[in-house]
Amino acid sequence: MMIQAAAGFMSAAAFACLYRVPRHQIIRCGLVGGLGWLVLLLTGDYLGEIGAMFLASAVVAVCSEILARRVRQPVIVFLVPGVIPLVPGGRAYLTMLSFLRNDYVKGLELLVSTIFLAGAVAAGIILVSSIFRAISRTKHRKEAVVWRMR
Amino acid sequence: MEELVSLVLLAGELLLTCGAEMYRVEETVERMGKAAGFSQVEVFATPTGLFLSLHSKQGQVFTRVRRIRYVDNNLSKISQINALSRAFSKGEISIDDVTKELERLQQKEMDFKWVVNIASGLGAGAFALMYGGTLLDGFTASVVGAIVVIAVSWIGKYPIPRVLQAFTGATVAASLVYFASLIIPLETDVVILGAVMLLAPGVVMTTAIRDMLSGELVSGVSRGAEALAIAVAVATGVAVVLSIGGL
Repeated sequence: MMIQAAAGFMSAAAFACLYRVPRHQIIRCGLVGGLGWLVLLLTGDYLGEIGAMFLASAVVAVCSEILARRVRQPVIVFLVPGVIPLVPGGRAYLTMLSFLRNDYVKGLELLVSTIFLAGAVAAGIILVSSIFRAISRTKHRKEAVVWRMR
Repeated sequence: MEELVSLVLLAGELLLTCGAEMYRVEETVERMGKAAGFSQVEVFATPTGLFLSLHSKQGQVFTRVRRIRYVDNNLSKISQINALSRAFSKGEISIDDVTKELERLQQKEMDFKWVVNIASGLGAGAFALMYGGTLLDGFTASVVGAIVVIAVSWIGKYPIPRVLQAFTGATVAASLVYFASLIIPLETDVVILGAVMLLAPGVVMTTAIRDMLSGELVSGVSRGAEALAIAVAVATGVAVVLSIGGL
């Protein structure tokens, strides 16, 4: 489990470097990613693959939104590296590989699960970001009105 | 007026080439256009092009189109442009300064390149572990992953489409792993999977579905197609090597 947590951290931090995240935020990105991966591993047995994926991506999104507000960075600085351990990129590759190996049944199975897993990740992110946007909109409503009148 | 138009356009273009989300591009352009004194701002951002129409208070309309040919993900530039546009719309920074800063960001090449290569190598190793590899698998994947990233960024200097870059990267990864497996006992599938994770379209695919779910249909379809093309390219690159190698 320790190795898995470290691996989740490392993969997110690596993509943070690859996507040129501001240098001081790389560790935070790694922590968000590692946390998401742990949530996925720990809840997988109880919630099923898709449910766990949804929960994990929602957790990542909540952490990213909070961190982004705290250190005044755009949310995607944490969100994109944070979901790296979760997104089914490897499965998309395996899907195509199965098709190329003439294993159509397995390919279709992988294809469907890839789409649903990516959907679960996306749904988790959208749900959280909509909630946060709704909250901050009511908070800043006064500002917005002034803005429109100018 | 003319320079204000190109300022707003430049900000939008930079955001798109750094891989920002569509809503961020549209919001930023709108915010900056309003702050620059335009009465109405119409903007339509897609991953491959930016369309922008600015209505001045005197009734003139400025329309500009920008084709986006490449995307190089750079979150720290996005963060800087974001801060700039906020400062600009609050009037904390002058038009000249914003233009200068944006042009500097447009020029600025990436720094800490070696750190990036080493880190991506370690990332590939981490993926191999996450997909159930042993520590030896992880180590091999790290080495292979670092080489793949170096190879892909080297190819990226030439005008080669992104899909072909992914194909080449996958070929390099699979051949290296194949030759390594002749010497070291490896779980080849897992090691290759770890190494090609650096090329695999996970984020693109998730962004595509995110765009679809939030109603950005054009962007969603275009990114979905990109993800599909990359997945096919990566898998084909690996399959070619494996079938020649007889694995």
